[in-house]
Amino acid sequence: MGKQVTEMLKGTLEGIVLAILAGRSAYGYEITAWLRDQGFTDIAEGTVYALLIRIEQRGLVDVEKVPSEKGPPRKVYSLNAQGREYLEEFWRTWSFLAERLEQLREGGN
Amino acid sequence: MATGSNEPKSRYRQYLEVLTGPIEDKRRYRQYKARTEQLPTDYHTAIDALQRYMLFFGPGKADSLLVMLEDLADLFEQSAANGTPLRAVVGEDPVEFAEEFLRNYPEGQWISRERERLTNAIDRVASDKQ
Repeated sequence: MGKQVTEMLKGTLEGIVLAILAGRSAYGYEITAWLRDQGFTDIAEGTVYALLIRIEQRGLVDVEKVPSEKGPPRKVYSLNAQGREYLEEFWRTWSFLAERLEQLREGGN
Repeated sequence: MATGSNEPKSRYRQYLEVLTGPIEDKRRYRQYKARTEQLPTDYHTAIDALQRYMLFFGPGKADSLLVMLEDLADLFEQSAANGTPLRAVVGEDPVEFAEEFLRNYPEGQWISRERERLTNAIDRVASDKQ
């Protein structure tokens, strides 16, 4: 994955993770694994974890500690009402950006 | 609290803690240290290096600092349990990971003072008269 993708991903990772959690609850490792499967191979587990801490602090997700057979309990994240609202806003912003960029590419403005 | 090459500062800090540090904080810090010692060697080395960097740039208050270190230990324990290679935990650029992680906690006092100073300096001269 090139430097450009890494840079662009920085601004959108929050929305991507919220969108994943809108589908189903997940713990950090599952989210990272999913992202890697989707081709974001350079994504660090620590980066995703830092982001999960942030969205938890901002009250966008509910967190449940689930015992694990191997190692410490896992924190399972699920999107709450506030998170859903935030995700909608993210998609509106994304659409705006994507439209403008598409216009630029087509040479209009 | 800090260990390593910065001896005079570390001793000063220890002295300060004798006077001001609540026993509960010390207990939590010792507990955190004990957790890091249980980690695989490469993880242990990495978390010590991250801690050193984060103590420098991170929160100035003991409580926020401890929350940050405990969150870091959570990550490393989980990743060790999953068998994630160290490089996949901290990424290609560990500084970038450290900065990303630090964003979640209040910043150090000296750095926030400098940021405030910069903001104020610009505010004074760019007083939006256009």
